[in-house]
Amino acid sequence: MKIGLEIHVQLPTASKMFCSCPTTDAEAPNTHVCPVCLGMPGAKPVLNRKVMEYGIMLAKMLNCKIPETTWFSRKTYFYPDMSKGVQITQYDNPVGGKGVYYLHGKKPIGITKIQLEEDPGKTKRVGDQSSLVDYNRAGTPLSEIVTDPDFSSPAEAREFLKQLIADIRHTIDLPGDGERSIRCDCNISIGKERVEVKNVTGLRNVERALTFEAIRQTKVLKAGGKVERETRRFDEERGVTISVRKKEFEADYGYINEPDLGVFHIGELVRSITIKESPVNMALRLSREYGISEKTADQMVLTSMNLAATFETIAKTTGSPQTAVSWATGTMAANWKAFEASGKDPKGIVDIMEKFAAGKITDVETDMELKAYMTGADIGAIKAQSADLNQIICSYLDEHPEIVDEIRKNEKAINRVIGHVMKETGGRYSSSDIVSATKGALASKL
Amino acid sequence: MKEILASLPRLNDKYSIFSCITEDAEIGDSEFLFSAKDGMTSKDMMTRCGSKILDGYRPTFDATAIERMRNAGGKLIGKCNMDEFGFGTFSTTSAYGIPKNPFDLERSCGGSSGGSACAAAVIDGHISLGASTGGSICCPASFCGVYGLVPTYGRVSRYGLVDYGNSLDKIGLISSDPERIARFLPVISGKDTKDSTSCGQPKLELKGKRIKTIGVPEEPLAGVSKEVLSSFESSLDALRSMGIEVNRIKMPSLKYAMPAYFILATSEASTNLASFVGMRYGQQDGDLSLKFDDYFTYFRTKYFGEEAKRRILLGTYTRMAGFRDRYYSKALKVRLHIIEYYKKIFSEHDAVLTPTMPFVSPRFDEISKMTPIESYSADYLTCPPDLAGMPHLSVPCGYNRDGMPIGMQFVTDHWEEDSLITFAKDWDSAFDVRKPEVSL
Amino acid sequence: MERTTVERVARAAHFALSEEEFEKYSKDLAEIFDYFKILDEAPEGEGYGVNPLEVGDVLRDDVPGIFIDPYELLKDMKTYENYVRGPRLL
Repeated sequence: MKIGLEIHVQLPTASKMFCSCPTTDAEAPNTHVCPVCLGMPGAKPVLNRKVMEYGIMLAKMLNCKIPETTWFSRKTYFYPDMSKGVQITQYDNPVGGKGVYYLHGKKPIGITKIQLEEDPGKTKRVGDQSSLVDYNRAGTPLSEIVTDPDFSSPAEAREFLKQLIADIRHTIDLPGDGERSIRCDCNISIGKERVEVKNVTGLRNVERALTFEAIRQTKVLKAGGKVERETRRFDEERGVTISVRKKEFEADYGYINEPDLGVFHIGELVRSITIKESPVNMALRLSREYGISEKTADQMVLTSMNLAATFETIAKTTGSPQTAVSWATGTMAANWKAFEASGKDPKGIVDIMEKFAAGKITDVETDMELKAYMTGADIGAIKAQSADLNQIICSYLDEHPEIVDEIRKNEKAINRVIGHVMKETGGRYSSSDIVSATKGALASKL
Repeated sequence: MKEILASLPRLNDKYSIFSCITEDAEIGDSEFLFSAKDGMTSKDMMTRCGSKILDGYRPTFDATAIERMRNAGGKLIGKCNMDEFGFGTFSTTSAYGIPKNPFDLERSCGGSSGGSACAAAVIDGHISLGASTGGSICCPASFCGVYGLVPTYGRVSRYGLVDYGNSLDKIGLISSDPERIARFLPVISGKDTKDSTSCGQPKLELKGKRIKTIGVPEEPLAGVSKEVLSSFESSLDALRSMGIEVNRIKMPSLKYAMPAYFILATSEASTNLASFVGMRYGQQDGDLSLKFDDYFTYFRTKYFGEEAKRRILLGTYTRMAGFRDRYYSKALKVRLHIIEYYKKIFSEHDAVLTPTMPFVSPRFDEISKMTPIESYSADYLTCPPDLAGMPHLSVPCGYNRDGMPIGMQFVTDHWEEDSLITFAKDWDSAFDVRKPEVSL
Repeated sequence: MERTTVERVARAAHFALSEEEFEKYSKDLAEIFDYFKILDEAPEGEGYGVNPLEVGDVLRDDVPGIFIDPYELLKDMKTYENYVRGPRLL
């Protein structure tokens, strides 16, 4: 089974690709339009600088070869939402060619190319009589990422998309609903002929469409039939793919260069742009450089790339990655959300950890200082609370000495203590605080 | 100016210059009158490019060149008839009237800016905006006995010019007086952030630079009619007597310009015209319950004229998978070669000179008998500079027995409009340019 | 020129040609391409060839703005509740 994807990602610019119309949601259809995106005769496109920059960033993220000079092409096809009858895209010398992207940091997925292009408008059917077109989306910038047919299963294609979207979101600050704005053309062949399922939206649907196609093609071949080379679409409700057109009726796009825009010498720009490390790459690197498990590194990166970066600083300054990682995944991770909301400098955290590493404060004090700094709570109150919590745990353990014996035999028995304390304190303490306090209290008794 | 405005309807009855005349009879603060080829958008008048498919298109914006002329005190009096989308050499494919030659109403004004050249010839003190892709300014200027200047590609913003071939189109000026061309070229030139291709130009400076040496390529002269050749040869003598050095040169590569031009122009045109489908502007009277492919096909079949269809078919073919390399990609590379070739000539000569057209304006009955390839071939002298994006100028240089004008065409290197304009002024005082008799 | 090729071109260009037109255009195109054969032997230049003079690096800043009233743009279009009306899709 061979699967390849063509992924369309909307780029988060403020204005459209070739005109200044806003890309934000409009109050009504056809209100974010102008002669350029409506394709009025006489209007000319002018390229948005940000589109080129985003394209280069993604090309770098995908480890693509980036040419010194790039330009645009016209793809001619007739559709009501394609206002110019032509889509401005890239054909010769796109912004990125031949790249490679590692799934889970291991399996290389070939990137055929990445190109920049404009989105068409949106079309609505009215009964079966006519269509209604809204050109607000026309001219929104897209990058199209084309992979080699390197996926061996629909599930793998989905995994790839999940990782890719997270990376793209991180690299170009794609808004949270990034997945919604990602559309895929899925190519799949079981036998010799390739079938393309056009315009599938969402990770789950990509996997569903591919799975359906894999089964359909397998059945056709088993029955001694031939899979036809064609374009199909995915019906989300029924979960099936439907033939749209056979190969011989494919449009003749007749690509030509786009003279209205000229060429772009991007070498300088390419060298001046550095991209942020992707979450996946960061986790892999942390695991490798600091000898921590991949799972732990993943966990930190998933909580926040900034947490992972803070971990790295602490590991470096204290020279003890193992201690740094246990604090980073413990107290720090538990309070990270509050810390990010506070907008404080991570340097404060590093300072506390340095005092701890130098033996100036105990682990209990470190825990309290971190909490106080990260959440902005008063250190006195935390101390009192901590004492209070400790008091509750200790008195419970004193009243039930048999539990300590039980825990010696079976670690999971600790949950009884935790459960009791939770009930007793009625939500005053976070579960992670209770867990760590319980463990601390037990440490002296076991 | 008021009299001219009042005479426009009668002029149009006689010559079919305009597809649209201004309804505003007031002169107001205007300092001069001008007209523009109907391929340029105008807020106050329809823009139809000589095509039925654009009937009803009322642009919301002025072409930059028109806007700049208005800002300089100009009043736009009308939109000039042209071949449909610029597809022609004789303005005979216009859907809104075929302009008639002021020297002989049975003959063509040339094309595709035929209406503009006619306006320049018959209206006193007039300046008209034309546009050239492959001879569309020089040809009609030559046939109508006036001056036509095509600036370097990118000199004048194309914003608002309805595209024919985007890598070839240029807006230029046509007038009976070179002084007016000199006056208005700086008005319409200059960078425009709405047209990227205008943004790389050096500043236009008209300092009176003179052409001192001319290269006259031998090969193209073989295809020129006797009367044109003899008038051209006499003009060479006149040039020598003006102190200009005239050298015979060889430019064998010029013969590749016409096919390369047609392939690039029609490839680009066929994509530009893909937006004309009976939606959004122009004709929209179709039955929307048809499937989109059928609806579009209905419109395009009904409203595009015969020559437009021919060129769309031609251009669709030359860029199609399987043929693209042989035609489109090859033509791009040949264009680069021709540019290099011109540059080489310009390292030794200030200008290249040929006749503008191989014959004087033909009669309409002769035109109707021409095969497509015969009429395309008529552009073989004007195509090369247009293909190469070089500025060029047609000046009247003689008249045949019947008094029909003959023109010659100067080509200079990129951005060298200055010497063309200086030459036109010098020539105008040395050569006796005839005015057509205009009786209404 | 082969009939199937002309049919393919006409379909791509969205023209419905009559039998007569097919014949006429096939003949015209054949003549034109016969003439264009001289291009095969033509020398080639160096470069990109997007424009006859290089147009390079013209970019606009990413600043949104609307300069022509969209309702004015829609004035001559067929619309329904501000949607542009188009032909049937399927």
